[in-house]
Amino acid sequence: MVTTNKIKHKWGMVVDLDRCTGCQACVIACQAENNIPINTKDYFQQRRAYEWIRIERYWEGEFPNVKAKFIPILCQHCENAPCEPVCPVFATYHNDEGMNVQVYNRCIGTRYCSVNCPYSARMFNYWQPNWPDSLRNQLNPDVTVRTRGIMEKCTFCVQRLRRGEVNVEQRGIEPLTGEKITGERKLNYRQMQEGNYLPACVQSCPTNALQFADQYDETGPVKERFDEANEIVEKRHHGEHIDENHTRTYRLFEEVGASPNLIYLKKVEPFPLEKRPR
Amino acid sequence: MQEGKPLQSKQINRELLLTILNSPKWFFTTVSVLGIIVMVAMGAAGYMINQGFGVTGLNRPVMWGFFITNFVFWIGISHAGVMLSAILRLSKAEWRRPATRAAEILTVFSLMTAMTMPLIHTGRPWRTVYWIYTLPFVPYDYARGIWPNVRTPLVWDPSAVYTYLTSSILFVVVALIPDFAVLRDRTTGMSHRIYGLLAMGWQGNARQWKLQIIAGVLLSALILPVFVSVHSIVSWDFGMAVSVKSWHSTVFAPYFVVGAVHSGVSAVAFVLILLRYVYGWQNYIRHEHIDALARLLVVVATGWFYFLVMEILFGFYGREADEIAVRDYQFMVSPWNIWMMIFVGVTYFLPVAIWLSRSARRNLWIMSLACISVNIGMWLERFLIIVPGLARKQLLTFDWYTYTPSAVEWIIVGGTFAMVTMLMLVIARVVPLIPLYDIKEGEILRTEIKIGRVTVPAVFRED
Amino acid sequence: MAAAEPKGHGQHSGMWIYPDAKVISQDVSEKSKDMAKPFRTALVVTGILFILAIVGFIARAADDGFDEIGPWGYYTALFSMLFMVTSGAPLAACAFRFTKSHWRRPLSRVAELFSIVSILNLLMFIPMMIVLPSLENPAGSVEGQMELRRSIWFEGPIGAPHAWNLAGVAFLTITSIAILWTSAIADMGEARHSATGLKGWLYRKLAGGWYGTKRQWNVQKAGLALLGAFYFMIVVFMHFTISSDYAQSLIPGWKDSIFPVLYTVTAFQASLGAILVTLFILRRWGGYEGYIGKSTFWSASKVLLGLTLLWVYHLFAFFITFWYGRLEVEQNIIKYLIVDTYSVIFLLNLAFSFVLPFAVLVWNPVRRSDWGPSLAGLLALIGGLMFNIRIFVGSANAAPGENIYHFLLHKVPAPAYPDIWDLFIVVGGLGAAVFIYLVSTRILPILSIWEVKEGTFYQKWGKLHRGEYQILGKPE
Repeated sequence: MVTTNKIKHKWGMVVDLDRCTGCQACVIACQAENNIPINTKDYFQQRRAYEWIRIERYWEGEFPNVKAKFIPILCQHCENAPCEPVCPVFATYHNDEGMNVQVYNRCIGTRYCSVNCPYSARMFNYWQPNWPDSLRNQLNPDVTVRTRGIMEKCTFCVQRLRRGEVNVEQRGIEPLTGEKITGERKLNYRQMQEGNYLPACVQSCPTNALQFADQYDETGPVKERFDEANEIVEKRHHGEHIDENHTRTYRLFEEVGASPNLIYLKKVEPFPLEKRPR
Repeated sequence: MQEGKPLQSKQINRELLLTILNSPKWFFTTVSVLGIIVMVAMGAAGYMINQGFGVTGLNRPVMWGFFITNFVFWIGISHAGVMLSAILRLSKAEWRRPATRAAEILTVFSLMTAMTMPLIHTGRPWRTVYWIYTLPFVPYDYARGIWPNVRTPLVWDPSAVYTYLTSSILFVVVALIPDFAVLRDRTTGMSHRIYGLLAMGWQGNARQWKLQIIAGVLLSALILPVFVSVHSIVSWDFGMAVSVKSWHSTVFAPYFVVGAVHSGVSAVAFVLILLRYVYGWQNYIRHEHIDALARLLVVVATGWFYFLVMEILFGFYGREADEIAVRDYQFMVSPWNIWMMIFVGVTYFLPVAIWLSRSARRNLWIMSLACISVNIGMWLERFLIIVPGLARKQLLTFDWYTYTPSAVEWIIVGGTFAMVTMLMLVIARVVPLIPLYDIKEGEILRTEIKIGRVTVPAVFRED
Repeated sequence: MAAAEPKGHGQHSGMWIYPDAKVISQDVSEKSKDMAKPFRTALVVTGILFILAIVGFIARAADDGFDEIGPWGYYTALFSMLFMVTSGAPLAACAFRFTKSHWRRPLSRVAELFSIVSILNLLMFIPMMIVLPSLENPAGSVEGQMELRRSIWFEGPIGAPHAWNLAGVAFLTITSIAILWTSAIADMGEARHSATGLKGWLYRKLAGGWYGTKRQWNVQKAGLALLGAFYFMIVVFMHFTISSDYAQSLIPGWKDSIFPVLYTVTAFQASLGAILVTLFILRRWGGYEGYIGKSTFWSASKVLLGLTLLWVYHLFAFFITFWYGRLEVEQNIIKYLIVDTYSVIFLLNLAFSFVLPFAVLVWNPVRRSDWGPSLAGLLALIGGLMFNIRIFVGSANAAPGENIYHFLLHKVPAPAYPDIWDLFIVVGGLGAAVFIYLVSTRILPILSIWEVKEGTFYQKWGKLHRGEYQILGKPE
């Protein structure tokens, strides 16, 4: 069972909300990459749209001094995912790369995972997915077309990662140094950049608001942020004082305790509840 | 305590077996009408499975709706059987005698009906073989080493419910054996043979009675933990969900159990009134029995109300914005606030006000009204826990939405009511809904004592 | 004496037997006058313990003052223990009277007499009222703290929670004594001419107008029912406020809607335990075996078994929700109260409140004896004490000082061990309660004479087929 070349990754994403313009490019990219059915007006009105990543728009202030705030929300790939223990058939579980994965074949559609997802990031296929004939040929062959009656959600574009792995394996050399890969088969940040192995949303983001990498990768862009966020959690555990003015990292709904592998960057109060007025 | 004239065994046999040995004219019409409603509901379920869940009113935040509400409701109704039979049998309450059989059978049928709900509620019912849910009917696909996830309440749930179903069927059958023997002796032909098989050689000798009584008491004691566990686990379907703020409450298990007893005992009282009216069993289901049930219900309802207050109070106690959002939706936003008021009114204040008056307790029309109102209320209770909780799940206000059930859901929910009624009517043709031997035993044990100038009804106590 | 086992009912001995109605009054009042040597010894020992408790209290006040609740944790636990027993016991009398249980007749007064002990409770509550931190944060709106700490009083009406709790405890004491008086008025009225000295004076004062007319009996019975219903509501409400104000709201982030229920169940269990232990002592050494039949133990044991199971059920309902929820604060609270800091006390609590009483009570032969249910009752009492120590000491010391105004408990706190004064307070306080109870048994008859007499009317023996059985009258 245990292989020496077991991949040791922990994928993570950092969403810089100060950079997000709400342009929805990630949404479109995701739609195209993951064989997501066309969201019609009806779907939106019924609140059944398929949005593996969605931009939530919030207004701040009173008219006319209104500011639009955007927050892209996708599956947070929680370490301590509330959706996982509640699935009766193990259709969702945590893989050893820090990803929360969904097994479509297993899923029977009890929808408990969605009920227990604090981020409402899980979509249920209310209808059989349908594409016009003209679009049939654009379906991504690497991604399953899901039937009705099952749950689906963001996969961190796992198909791209797998393809990247295959590439590295087939070439057998580090792309940059040209050295032979020995021992652990490991995909690093550089290779990911080289081969466009990023999730579709990250790749398409025009402002680099989304960044994706291995949290263990010293050279990657996300490690620093995750270390910072983890340190805050650690400090809180020990009852130490947290200097909120020097950090932008926070996780969504930290009080739920799901510890997502997704970090948002924004100057916010990490525990807004603590300071609620009477 | 005991009212009414003493009854002779012969008369008991004649009157209580009336439903089985002859059937009234309205019987087939009623059963057919109910059958058609059930067929329509099954058709609606088939249509839903064929088309996908789009035909319901469910949406992304509100993934559970009418079906789960209905599931919890019927599980709740099923709690009456054991509550009445087991607890009252163990505590030797005399007035339990005419109520037990109907209550137990109602348990079995409402459990069966309840279990259809989660099944059609899954996105792909034909794949539920991977769930422990279909285990009694389809062998589990263990050959490939794929097992269900025991960490989820959705696996605890069918395990508990099927244990309960099995044990309550056993409970009914053990209590039925002496009555089957009576039927065996009064039927001919095929039915004679079937009843003979079911009576399992019952001759009514001392040893058989002893064994039957021991089995009844043992089953009563063993079924009680099952009874409590079933609705606790149903409540944990909700209570374990951390993400839905108003669900993650420690009080849920006893709150649901007491609520289930509340709705279940009301339902039994209603069924008894109906039986009395339909079959003319005035000598058996007497005012004193309904009265005793109503007095029990005052206690149960008040206990339930205490838990309700705890649940709501500690919802506000947290002073967490996300929970306040749910409560705000429940109590302030139309139409939920109206439903909430109706719910509390018809589940507690109206019926308890009725039950506190002796003359109202003895008026069958008013009693039926109170019992029905409790059940409407308890249906609403589950609905008002499930839907507002989901509709205001977290503080992502962008995702907040509401829920409007579609026609398909209404039809299926209506069909479950028709189904339970139909099954009860059909079973009334097959087994006596009032235990003959229990009534006869009560007749033997009743006596009276004189204190000064007063005569007080009394009973022989066997211990 | 007439209080012997009946003749001719060998197989039913110990069940439902009362002596002849005519001799009950005289017999019981003779027994309550009697000051046997063991009784006097017990009185002296518990009196000394009472003094120890006072010493402990004064030392505690001198050492720590009344500013912080932390050092008063054990005192709070003792208060809560006595509160549980003294509030629950009269309720048991009312409840079994309400269900018209025949077997409760010898139990009623034993239970009601605990209401005298609740005066001690009321006195004990006054310092507790002072040490409870205020709802409003004295530091005002500080970063990371709440301005108004979480409590069931929310915005806080004037005086909340301190004065309201005191009023509630006082009200509870008064109501329970009113129940005792209403119940005892018939007995006192009967004995007011024969009793002498202080007792005679007291009886004449309290029951001067009692002639036992039909109307008086009706008023008395209706009064008992009404007071009982009223008392039930106050008890449940006061259990709710005490358990919330002195336990739950002192641990930041402990939001546990079942805790008041668990507290109430523990209280009922412990108080029934106390009643059973008292009944056992009376039966074995008090000369009341003719009145307190085994059937009382047998029936009460069923209730105790039910309460024991309910206790563990509510505990489990709390535990599994927090355990499955896995929120940080939930994990911390579980670690603090159950698996880590107070794990030893928790294990003792579980053992004494559930495992051991359950192991005793599942055996039918044991339950039919008089010692079995009493042993289970004693175990439940110890379990109740452990519960109170775990919860109240834990709560008082979870968030010292300003930390109490935090929103959540981020850290598992350290345990608080008792010092010598805490031991004085707890052991002495229990002794003091026993002392007061012992004294009160000399003032009022420990059996409810009228109820026992009533019972003799409603039961008789009758033949059915070949056996002889008890016949029990069931008045509407």
